[in-house]
Amino acid sequence: MESQSRNVWIKEGDPSKLGALYKDGYEDILEERRHTSDFRWCTRSRNVQFYQYRHPRNPKQIKDSVLSSDRVQYAIEQVIQESGTTPEETENQVHSILDEMAHNLNLSSVRCLAYVLTKIIKRLYRRIYVNEEGIDTVRTLIKEYPVLLMPSHRSYTDFLVMSYLFYHYDLPLPVIAAAMDFMGMKFVGTLLRNCGAFFIRRSFGSDKLYWAVFTEYVQTQMCNGDAPVEFYVEGTRSRTSKSLSPKIGMLKASLEPYFKAHCPDIMVIPITVSYDRILEENLYTYELLGVPKPKESTSGLLKARSILSEDFGNIHICLAPPISIRTFSEGKINRHIHSLSPRYIASLTKDEEVLLKDLAFVVILTQQKHAVISPWALIASVLMQKTNGVQFEELVKDVEWLKRQASNCGAYVDWPGNESPEHVIRTRLLFHSNKLTISDEDLVELKQISPPSHVDNKTSKDTIISTAAMHVMTSLYRNQLLHVFVRIAMVTIPVNSCLQETLSINSLFEQYTFLETILSREFIFQPGKTREDFNKVLVLLQHAGGLVIDEERNIKIKQSVNKYTTFMSIMFKPFLLGYWVVCQYLLSLAGGNLDARPLARKAKQMRIETQQLILGLLSEGIIKHYEILSLDLIGNALDSLVDMGVISREKRIQDIYFVPQCAKVSRIAAKIESMTEVPATHITDFSTFIIRTVTAKL
Amino acid sequence: MKKTGAKIFKEVNVVDCGSQTDRKISMEEKAPTIPKRRQELLKWNGWGYKDSKFIVNKDEHVEFTGDRYKLSGHVMPSLREWMIKTIGISLDHRVQSQPELTAADIPAPIKNEAFLHDLRNARISHSDDSQDRLFRAHGHTLHEVFILREGRFSRIPDLVVWPTSHDEVIKVVELACKHNTVIIPFGGGTSVSNAIECPKHETRMITSLDTSQMNKILWIDEKNMTAHCEAGIIGQDLERRLDEKGFCTGHEPDSMEFSSLGGWVATRASGMKKNVYGNIEDLIIHLKMVTPRGVIEKSCQVPRMSSGPDIHHFMLGSEGTLGVVTEVTLKIRPVPTCKKYGSIVFPNFEQGVDCLREIAKQRCAPASIRLMDNEQFQFGHALKPDTSTLFSSFVDGIKKLYITKIKGFDLTKIAVATLLFEGTSDEVASQEKRVYEIAANFGGLPGGEENGERGYMLTFVIAYIRDLGFEYYVVAESFETSVPWDRVLDLCRNVKDRLHRECKDRGIQFPSFATCRVTQTYDSGACVYFYFAFNYRGLTNPVKVYEEIEASARDEILANGGSISHHHGGEYL
Repeated sequence: MESQSRNVWIKEGDPSKLGALYKDGYEDILEERRHTSDFRWCTRSRNVQFYQYRHPRNPKQIKDSVLSSDRVQYAIEQVIQESGTTPEETENQVHSILDEMAHNLNLSSVRCLAYVLTKIIKRLYRRIYVNEEGIDTVRTLIKEYPVLLMPSHRSYTDFLVMSYLFYHYDLPLPVIAAAMDFMGMKFVGTLLRNCGAFFIRRSFGSDKLYWAVFTEYVQTQMCNGDAPVEFYVEGTRSRTSKSLSPKIGMLKASLEPYFKAHCPDIMVIPITVSYDRILEENLYTYELLGVPKPKESTSGLLKARSILSEDFGNIHICLAPPISIRTFSEGKINRHIHSLSPRYIASLTKDEEVLLKDLAFVVILTQQKHAVISPWALIASVLMQKTNGVQFEELVKDVEWLKRQASNCGAYVDWPGNESPEHVIRTRLLFHSNKLTISDEDLVELKQISPPSHVDNKTSKDTIISTAAMHVMTSLYRNQLLHVFVRIAMVTIPVNSCLQETLSINSLFEQYTFLETILSREFIFQPGKTREDFNKVLVLLQHAGGLVIDEERNIKIKQSVNKYTTFMSIMFKPFLLGYWVVCQYLLSLAGGNLDARPLARKAKQMRIETQQLILGLLSEGIIKHYEILSLDLIGNALDSLVDMGVISREKRIQDIYFVPQCAKVSRIAAKIESMTEVPATHITDFSTFIIRTVTAKL
Repeated sequence: MKKTGAKIFKEVNVVDCGSQTDRKISMEEKAPTIPKRRQELLKWNGWGYKDSKFIVNKDEHVEFTGDRYKLSGHVMPSLREWMIKTIGISLDHRVQSQPELTAADIPAPIKNEAFLHDLRNARISHSDDSQDRLFRAHGHTLHEVFILREGRFSRIPDLVVWPTSHDEVIKVVELACKHNTVIIPFGGGTSVSNAIECPKHETRMITSLDTSQMNKILWIDEKNMTAHCEAGIIGQDLERRLDEKGFCTGHEPDSMEFSSLGGWVATRASGMKKNVYGNIEDLIIHLKMVTPRGVIEKSCQVPRMSSGPDIHHFMLGSEGTLGVVTEVTLKIRPVPTCKKYGSIVFPNFEQGVDCLREIAKQRCAPASIRLMDNEQFQFGHALKPDTSTLFSSFVDGIKKLYITKIKGFDLTKIAVATLLFEGTSDEVASQEKRVYEIAANFGGLPGGEENGERGYMLTFVIAYIRDLGFEYYVVAESFETSVPWDRVLDLCRNVKDRLHRECKDRGIQFPSFATCRVTQTYDSGACVYFYFAFNYRGLTNPVKVYEEIEASARDEILANGGSISHHHGGEYL
């Protein structure tokens, strides 16, 4: 009889005894590497399916086709006419641009790298989880349409892991747009080139030849489907773990072929790479505090090999459902506009650019949606609010609570269901023991972070800096969670700070809009969706956060202020405080006189001076949020004020100077004051602070 | 076409521009191929002659009946398998047409008695017989043929008139204006632009003005190489009768068996040999059009003139909305002494297009040059009749071996260009040499005369094959576009991809068939012709689905820099 029981099919009944090879649709691709020969894996034959209309070409042929393309030839002629260079010189320029740019993707290099890489990856990481469904989709799509891969960018590892992934699944290896930083590195530059990296200058303004070569190089590969094209829409690695505002230059170049009907469609695949622990956490922390990052160099890379002995946990890679640019632009764009001039001359229309900007935001929001939140991010969020330490038991309670809230908002928390919360949290604490201590009484406390090796001794002895480092590094992980809650906080902040008994929805929305505007460099908000987001958050808060709205559509303040709303508001307080300090700094430039015209300064100088001011405030104990020292936050605040027209930009000969408009700045500061607690310090005091810090520096 | 009111164009008599009657050859009258009662010869619910159609015979092989065409009476052994594989038909699932519509199924005619009275007095032939009216109620779009097979027309002409001369047309138009009735001109009935469909909500009497009885060649002018014809003459009659005198117009649209001269003018037609003879607008020396406000014509028959906009150009392509074309003077040419087919096999479609562009650039295109994509090549192959003699299949075998094994061509990628050369035998020989030399630069190999000829036969026969498709739940249609050279390849690929994708998105369970050919070349671009078919088994409204898909394909064409039409006409699209 036993053989008829369904149970005979079940190999292992106890979930806790199961390995972690599979979970929630994710599959670990490292497991297999730990059991079979790496050498055989690297030399095996690959059965790769390519785009249906592709004509096979090698990197040399791709370069040749760029050279002979109408676009580049046209640019050459123009340049010859305009600058009077000889055809030969111009042609040589094109050659050198192309040599600097082009990849040299070849399988033998990839195999070599794959061999070394798999050894390194196995030491650094426990598992690399990939969502199988995403892989299956990509596998079919890659045959049908050109594919654009758009991963999130948190670490240099992104680049390697993505190619590793495509190698693992026998998918065509991507070619990757990389910044020039790597190029100077001996061997490494060449090696990356051989593995499909191509190098783009960070800015090339109106250099016609460069534009033409770059555009053609990207587009010819896009259209022929030589390989999936990969690039980072955030433009650079996010040092803060928060998504960066999208840069759309590369997106424009790679999707233009669709608008010009060079190809039937292009599939955009947002990809989220989530790390348990970021390889560069230490570097980022000090970079954010103003310690310059070391120049990428091969020797630097060798020096960094000490990290090989460390454990960086798991990586989760989620390939989101593809976005078809055809479907995305359906009914919004009329492509036949491009039939009135040669396709290699005209550029995209305004409408198309607006659409692509929209798409870029959608991609980033999709990346956020598919981020895998580690339990450590939850722990970090709680610890950031309890800088004096917290009892383990209480921590468990708070983290569990926060986990539920995150899940309610649709976030995926990587929480093993078969382990007790205590166990989950304790293992994560041990895993991040470089950042905290657990006392014998089970008190969990953050600890000071020693700076990376390239930081000079003087800085490293500064206790404010070490404390700030501790906060900033923890904030890197808390930041993984912020996109989940930011819209909620933009409602709870006005609610919590409201002094009346009720708050009308309209004035709440007004404050929400203000927060969205001022924080738009800090977080990602889809332009034009403010009202929609706001309404969604209201519904969510009514269900999960205890927000009470009466029949007249007014918020009842007393009933609405609770642990939930308070927690959310506090989580975002450092940002508001930071922005407020930036405002105070700007006001101090005119000595507190709102009608005076303050001295113009370069943006960089403003950032450094603000940071100095904050240092002063921290050392005096006037403010306690060390993370405000982050240059990223200060920079975002300044940029946002520029966007809002509060700071005007002036071009003087070569550099851009910022000129704050004090009356406007003071209005912004007042608004922030009405929403959050700020130190009761006067602007004049700030001026003296600045003087003090500046003299201290002298 | 509704009009009342006074004529503004004064009727102009052709001013004698110094013509001498003695060099004009007058032609004896002959009965037209298509009789006045079309129903005696033509199918009522499909394309072409009653006796010619594709059937599945008792051995379950596809056979073409009758004896009019080269393919008639032959079995095509591989066609069945091709249909099963390519569009997923099943011989077990058949759907037959409804029985022939009778007077009871057809809307009763609206009668304007005063108009009818005047018409009788003018002694102009007319009829309100239901079959006469039904046969002039439609063209050959999928939508119209599907109504014939499955549905009912809600509005058809109330009367058919057969004027026999320009003057009778003037009379009919005058009476229509006088009595406020509507006229829809009707030529050969091969319209694929819905131009002869009656407006559903028209309450006035609709008269179908059938020009078929105006089918005379009035004279041929050998000195000036022109022929003056009545507009109702159909293509095959025109060429046959000119041929008797040693001339031709060289205008050969694929519909030339049935379509009329007046129809060509009204739709801006294009013939396959336009490279030598030109399109209809190049062939016309003089036109007469009867409009509600009088006759429009030029006062001389000259090769070119400069006196304001060319009035021919708003008659051309007016699709019956502005008036009735009654008489046309066309350029004619001596019949060429040598005609020769040819073909070129290319390793792929891209190289084929590059080659055609080069040939166009060097302006050495033969009378006709067309490039079929691989799907169409396969289709043509499936249409091969069983009669190929042992010898020719032997040759085929060798050729195939040569192309695939020695030259490394992939039979699932190759594209085939079909050629037609005309001229003296010396001219043809030198043209051939030049074309094949250019082709060689693009990897093209000569593929023999037989393949070329079969390519051209295909276009005549393909119109018939749609009716076989209908029997097995397949709807099929063709559409075409004009496109600049730099866009040709992208357009072909994108439109086919769009068609397949739209089918998939609409839940069509079977593979769809989309194929194209570059069918005309110009200095600055080309005409691309698409065939598209899908198996609608499981769908409730195939015509609507088809129309949606075609609409999206047209959007795709426009997005790809193509035009709405090259020669089908498009006033009603």
